[in-house]
Amino acid sequence: MRKLLAVKGSLWFLVGAAAAIAVFRFWRGIGPTTALTDLTPWGFWIGFDVMGGVALAAGGFVIAATVYVFHLERYHAIVRPAVLTAFLGYLAVAVGLLFDLGLPWNIWHMIIFWNPHSPLFEVGMCVMCYLTVLALEFAPVVLELAKHPLLQKIYLIVKKATVPLVILGIMFSSLHQSSLGSLFLIMPHRLHELWYTPILPILFFLSAIPLGLMMVTTESLVSSTLYESEYELPLLQGLGKACSWALWVYLAVRFGDLAVRGVLPRIFEGGFAANLFIVEILICGIIPAILLSIPAVRRSFLGLAVSAGITVVGFVMNRLDVGGLAMIETTGTRYIPSWMEVVISLGIVAGAALVFFFVAENFALMHGGPMRKDRFKLAKPKFHPATGVIVADPYWPGIKRYSFRFVLGAALAVTLMPQVARSGKAWVKQPVHPPAYGDKIVIDGNLNDKAVLFNHQSHLAVVEGPDSCAYCHHMVLTGAHATGCARCHQDQNIPTSIFDHKLHAESLKAGPDCKACHTDPRGRPGRKDVEHTKPCLECHTAMIPEGAFVKLKVPGKIGLAPGYVDAMHGLCIPCHEKMDGGSAVPGLANCTTCHSGAIPAFDPLSPDQRMQALKTKAPEPSPSPKPSAAGSAGK
Amino acid sequence: MKAILTDVTKCIGCERCVSACRKTNDLGPERPYPWKNEDGLSSDHWCSVVTKDGYTVRKQCRHCISPACASACPVGAFVKTSEGPVTYDGKKCMGCRYCMMACPYGIPRYAYDSVVPYVRKCQMCYETRVSKGLAPACVEACPAQATVFGDRERLLAEARTRLAENPGKYVQKIFGETEVGGTCVLYLSPIELDFLSLGNKLDDRPMPSRTVRAMEAVPPVFIGVGIIMTGLHWTIGRRIRLQRERNGLGEPEQHGHAHKKDGDL
Repeated sequence: MRKLLAVKGSLWFLVGAAAAIAVFRFWRGIGPTTALTDLTPWGFWIGFDVMGGVALAAGGFVIAATVYVFHLERYHAIVRPAVLTAFLGYLAVAVGLLFDLGLPWNIWHMIIFWNPHSPLFEVGMCVMCYLTVLALEFAPVVLELAKHPLLQKIYLIVKKATVPLVILGIMFSSLHQSSLGSLFLIMPHRLHELWYTPILPILFFLSAIPLGLMMVTTESLVSSTLYESEYELPLLQGLGKACSWALWVYLAVRFGDLAVRGVLPRIFEGGFAANLFIVEILICGIIPAILLSIPAVRRSFLGLAVSAGITVVGFVMNRLDVGGLAMIETTGTRYIPSWMEVVISLGIVAGAALVFFFVAENFALMHGGPMRKDRFKLAKPKFHPATGVIVADPYWPGIKRYSFRFVLGAALAVTLMPQVARSGKAWVKQPVHPPAYGDKIVIDGNLNDKAVLFNHQSHLAVVEGPDSCAYCHHMVLTGAHATGCARCHQDQNIPTSIFDHKLHAESLKAGPDCKACHTDPRGRPGRKDVEHTKPCLECHTAMIPEGAFVKLKVPGKIGLAPGYVDAMHGLCIPCHEKMDGGSAVPGLANCTTCHSGAIPAFDPLSPDQRMQALKTKAPEPSPSPKPSAAGSAGK
Repeated sequence: MKAILTDVTKCIGCERCVSACRKTNDLGPERPYPWKNEDGLSSDHWCSVVTKDGYTVRKQCRHCISPACASACPVGAFVKTSEGPVTYDGKKCMGCRYCMMACPYGIPRYAYDSVVPYVRKCQMCYETRVSKGLAPACVEACPAQATVFGDRERLLAEARTRLAENPGKYVQKIFGETEVGGTCVLYLSPIELDFLSLGNKLDDRPMPSRTVRAMEAVPPVFIGVGIIMTGLHWTIGRRIRLQRERNGLGEPEQHGHAHKKDGDL
């Protein structure tokens, strides 16, 4: 009882957190909540919810086939939970997909706009059909309690149709368990060779069988533990035996395929993908196959629980690998799911588990009928020995506890959510406050403890007006409040040409082939390098005065001018005269020529003090670049 | 079928194609989204100039002859038009992003920032220009004729002439002539252009052909599984019944029991 309460409480907590995030996912769009990128458009939701969910739901068709097709009647006791697990699994897939789709309200488009060449089309159609079949397969469990004559009539019809429904369910299942693998056939460029194979659909189908069996085992063991009923060990032992066979077949086909394609040696080549493969094949194949082949392991609760746990985790890992992890090495993606993605996925699973418990407590799902009726409702009220306070039937206080957990989860999720996900406004134009200390501020834009006077207003004009804050102020990057200067001024610390190309092209009427300046002895137009460009000195004959320090890299050609940080500061001429008067080497490309210890270390808390320091100690930058020599050097 | 031929040796890297593209397609201001790639393409940037080994190479949708995106899209939002461009219809799209996973060049990009997000990629100016017989905006903007537009066959012939005239200048290959079944954006280049594609190196097999066999197997597998399962159900059921009769067990009782369970899930 306590275990059940604790488990359900945590599930409600997860559902609450996921529900809160879900609101912001649909309100603010997919970008702020997820970590998806252009390089990795499929993330955790596809890998875990869709791929994992479908795989985990495989128990439904495997057990239904065992009982109704192979007439192994003794497994009848676990058909209902297995079918419900499958139904909830697929429902989780559908819900997960609604989160992942950019335009979820268009999900019905698949029904009218057909593209039969697309594996995803087939998966989608199969999920829709199979969900319907599963709902009908499971309907008797709910309908048998109905009193209304019409519902009873429907119950009789559905009950009669059980065998055809089961066979239809197997048809849809085998199709789209495999076509989930076909999805990745079109991605040989993304998927690592150890996973990409033309028989991917067959492997997916073969792995669905042992996984389904072990999922049913897990589900049975968990519900027996929580509801304190007897373990169905004799039945589960049979499932374990079948599972070991299915695992050996799967392993044989998988390694056979690797051998035929000749990539077996790649398993031991080291590196992320190869090691991932080794871990995966150990836990989703070799270890459980060996464990389950030992009769003593199959007979014991612990042995079954461990093997079932390993298999389930292993095959979910297999689906995650194919769905993304095996693409990391080939695409070089840096995608790591955001915690909100993970919480949504866990919340969906938690919701499915809660529905399972609800059905188990209210309908004849398990062997012995509804779980609640005979266990919880009949519990007599007790009195606390010390205080004498009444301790009520724990079922009803449970509800209060659950709603508290739900609200707690939701509140915590909203609190922890990053500002971007909550507001969704980081990418939307919005009015902002101007900087608090006026337009000229001292910033340490490059975060290197060296500050400069920064004119906010003039930068606003260069970037796209007062609504473009997001261009520099990246609220999404943790720890970074604004873009560093070098993000735009990429060449600020390297010598850069200050040559105005447009002006030259216009005044020389260069024409489309650029031949006026970009001359090539072989007559090719427009090669943009030093060798094939007319030297400046050819026109600007008096450009370099006698005795200048400018050294020419290519004789006769000017080459590159000093960095434009200097030009922007309007310092070229005044400082050349002032600072470099007697020096043999001009030091102007070097910030420390002017900023020599005059500025205190960066302290964001007192910018006004720094401003004062700069104004009194540093040389005042001249208001506008003097046109004389700097201008003629440029033009 | 129309195509674009880009000669990397002629490109001067001026990015006029990029600004023409952004202007023609009205792509709005650029934003520093965290989900962008390094190659410069994004939902507001359908064409970019990538610098590699001192050469500037234009990156855009390759408009494959058998496009992976069109084959992958479950609702058929991508169409390979007879003129060559691969177009996208946002009205059909449901945002599954399978096209982005399928594209061997990683071209389609997603407007993650939008609450109503669509896939974005170069459509070779199909609606505004190519369907009216004009050249795409990027080609028209090129000052160096580094990128030209025309009939694919004619451009291939032109490319072969250039390769023959300057054998030392180029890698002796027309990029896009045969890879992934041929593309409508061709390149002549002095360097290998592997960096334009994504992940593992590709051969000449069209991408859609890799799923064809699996997709063709769907109807027979569906019907086959149905027949086999029905057959097994009937055969095994009959054998069990016959065995019970032969063993002289209480047939009606057993049968009735089994039958009851049969119907009751």
